[in-house]
Amino acid sequence: MENYFDYTKKIFDPAQVKEKPDVFKDLRVLDFSHVIYGPTVGKVLGSYGAEVIKCELPWVGDLWRFGVYWGKFWKHSNICFQFVQYGKYFFSLNLKLPKAKEIIYKLAEKSDVIVENFASGTAETWGVGYSQLSKINPAIIYLSCATYGQYGPMRFFPGWDLLAQAAAGVVSLTGYDGTDRYYKLPDYVGDFLPGNVGALAVIMALNYRKKTGKGQYIDLAQTEAVMRMMPNFTYEDIAGQELGRTANTDPAMAPSGIFKSSEGKFVAVAAATDEQYKGICEAMGHPELVTKYKDSWERLKPENARELYDMTGKWVGSSTLDSLVELAKKHHFAIAEVEGDLDITGDEWRRERGSVVMVPDEMYHRLLLPGPSAMLSKTPGKIRWLARPLGYHNRYILKKLLGYSDEEIQQLEKERVIGYWDDKPGIEPPVYYDIMQDPMFNYRGE
Amino acid sequence: MSEKEQILVRYGGSRKEREIFLKSMMSPEGKPEVFDDVMVLDASYANMSGDICSSIFAEFGAEVIKIEPPEGDPSRKITPYGVNRNGTGVPFIMEARGKRYMTLDLRKESDRQEFKKLAGKAQVVIETYQPGQMDAWGIGYRQLSEINPGLVYIAISTYGQYGRKAQEMTDIPDTDITAQALSGAAANIGDIPTEEEPYNWPLRAGVWLGWYISGILAAQGAAIALYYASATGEGQMVDVATADSYASLVGYPVTIGFTWVTPRPRIGKHDFCLYPYGFWKTKDGTVAIAASRDHDFRGLLKILHLWKNEDDWRFSFDRIPDMIPLVEEFYKIIESATVKYTSDELINKALQYSIKSARSKWRGGGVPIVMKVQKPSTTVQNPHWEKRNSFQVFDEPDIGKVKLPVNFIKMSESPPRVKWVKCSIGQDNSYVREKYLK
Repeated sequence: MENYFDYTKKIFDPAQVKEKPDVFKDLRVLDFSHVIYGPTVGKVLGSYGAEVIKCELPWVGDLWRFGVYWGKFWKHSNICFQFVQYGKYFFSLNLKLPKAKEIIYKLAEKSDVIVENFASGTAETWGVGYSQLSKINPAIIYLSCATYGQYGPMRFFPGWDLLAQAAAGVVSLTGYDGTDRYYKLPDYVGDFLPGNVGALAVIMALNYRKKTGKGQYIDLAQTEAVMRMMPNFTYEDIAGQELGRTANTDPAMAPSGIFKSSEGKFVAVAAATDEQYKGICEAMGHPELVTKYKDSWERLKPENARELYDMTGKWVGSSTLDSLVELAKKHHFAIAEVEGDLDITGDEWRRERGSVVMVPDEMYHRLLLPGPSAMLSKTPGKIRWLARPLGYHNRYILKKLLGYSDEEIQQLEKERVIGYWDDKPGIEPPVYYDIMQDPMFNYRGE
Repeated sequence: MSEKEQILVRYGGSRKEREIFLKSMMSPEGKPEVFDDVMVLDASYANMSGDICSSIFAEFGAEVIKIEPPEGDPSRKITPYGVNRNGTGVPFIMEARGKRYMTLDLRKESDRQEFKKLAGKAQVVIETYQPGQMDAWGIGYRQLSEINPGLVYIAISTYGQYGRKAQEMTDIPDTDITAQALSGAAANIGDIPTEEEPYNWPLRAGVWLGWYISGILAAQGAAIALYYASATGEGQMVDVATADSYASLVGYPVTIGFTWVTPRPRIGKHDFCLYPYGFWKTKDGTVAIAASRDHDFRGLLKILHLWKNEDDWRFSFDRIPDMIPLVEEFYKIIESATVKYTSDELINKALQYSIKSARSKWRGGGVPIVMKVQKPSTTVQNPHWEKRNSFQVFDEPDIGKVKLPVNFIKMSESPPRVKWVKCSIGQDNSYVREKYLK
């Protein structure tokens, strides 16, 4: 029989990803959302082939176009924006004008999914809510994203990732007990995770629609999505006390923690099961510990876990990472180096796997992006193109999808119904790029 | 929807009417389920990400059969400080949502044959063994897809199922803390470099970030695969690497590592892109403050009476310099004002300001947001979540009363729901045999 890894390499081969089919190739998504939370939904659907039309306000654009890392733009664009918005169509129109609404209604008729993350109720006042658009297209799947959801006493409260984390209580779990230092989950996990939950909800609704032909309304609260990953509520219910903050160990595994190796590298070590515990005790050279804490309930008691933590810390501190990894292979316990940004970018295996992808692009030349989180062997997620300047696909969408003529488009431009970028980094094309020669921006139709 | 109901959904409907209407619209009672024709075999072992993934399928109506050895899955014992009910740990109980529990010892050939029979009738298989283990047992994707071409096979492991690293590291098991370390989460949590040890060390997030992200994204990938399978009849393999989880979710480690070529320092309570965006002490606790847009920031300065600092920190780019001492200085300026008030006073001030600025015809007043930092014990008491049925208490004979966060997605037609929470070892052996192995 063929070696297992040769077989898997063959069915997942990253070099063939481009030729594989798209699951959602007939799907159109109308994306009214901004910043990270809502747009993530469109990004996920888009990477599996959906045509995602991202609508932005002319001359202003998505707020996150300016959410730059330490205030620095990249080729007049923003890398933090690139990651959330790749593979979409950039349409820029002023939603509040009646003529723009006409265009939106025409698009809604031809769309399958609509995503919105304004403050709850705003989309309805602007005439693009579920109650209005479901009348035009009853089979529509409409996802409303908000921090606290569409109903309940707090629904009017504005929110960001930080507020969702604060309201869910997750920030009070990370850090050291007895200090007043609070650490949020970094990099807006409170936006990205709920955004992916939103994509999950839409995909479930698509599965349902495939069977029954029915669309539906989805109300997603960012905070609830964060609460879903906290076992603390159940823990407090059962234990009768707070779990509290956990420093850099996992209280569910003993020993476990992040330690410093003899060469000064940070290493995470853990033994989750009895078997792994036995392995780590043998590797440490303390076989007597195996019988001392044979029972994992005994081992996980705070004072015993502390003892094991200290012993492991000493042991890791006197060994090199490589020797530890070799021991882990032999004795089957979990170990990993703490990888920072540069380690992850440089890891060869991630490039080989396709979890870190160099994306070639006509406008920005190239950018390194993370690939899909779940690798699908037959219909893998793809990155088709990077984010584009504001209003880049205006002509394409109006002509190709709605059949507008050049004169009509000019009229819309004149009335400021649709628009483009202003002289501002974040929304304009890179300086070296001749946008007037761009066939997509100047789409003429077949 | 009737005309009246439609009006209620709109912004103009009264708060109470809207609430009653939306609540009934989103109620799962008597509604169909997405995956009522899907059977999921969950063979995850000593890895909760598999249980999390199958939970999502169970919530969306699939028949989930968890396969574990006669002595039980070791992850029953992976629980904070050993807290358990009748030998089952808290996270395992939390993910025991509407599943069936069957014992099969996959180390035995006869039981593997039974597993194979079950897999022949399943739409989804989930496993978290070391890469290649199931294949060596003759029940991997390669063998199962032959007898069941429509099968979606989810495998979760540290480094995935293919490539040199996966092969090299097969003997090292997967845990959440190593997943957090490998995927760039731990490296970006923690205090600034000048702080004393261990505060400036990489820090583990206080939740199972690695496992939850992996489980949820595995379910997402599998739902896509099922959509494809329902159109073409073709199943496929879904491979999730927990070492990717955080990095592929947020994207920052990769793009910043590539464009800036220097590693980010840990900046603890600060933020790279937005400011003020963090936690500040008050007279009686801690609040989260987000006022990063310029007009929000101006609002914040007004309510904190710090207007004299406006000139120095006016634009959002002034507030995110790549100089940590400067950010620290700015942090202390805001702190000097927040400690003068109680949390509730600050929240109230911010709310009053936002309401006033929303009503102003210029609409440029900004929305500084202040929110009390909650603990899980205070979050459950929030009446908002009660109104939204975000928590549910289950009372089952073998576990007793437990409270779970549920209904995390509200859908009008086919919402997810938790039907029961039961997880005795082998409780459904006869049910499964009767239904699938006769």
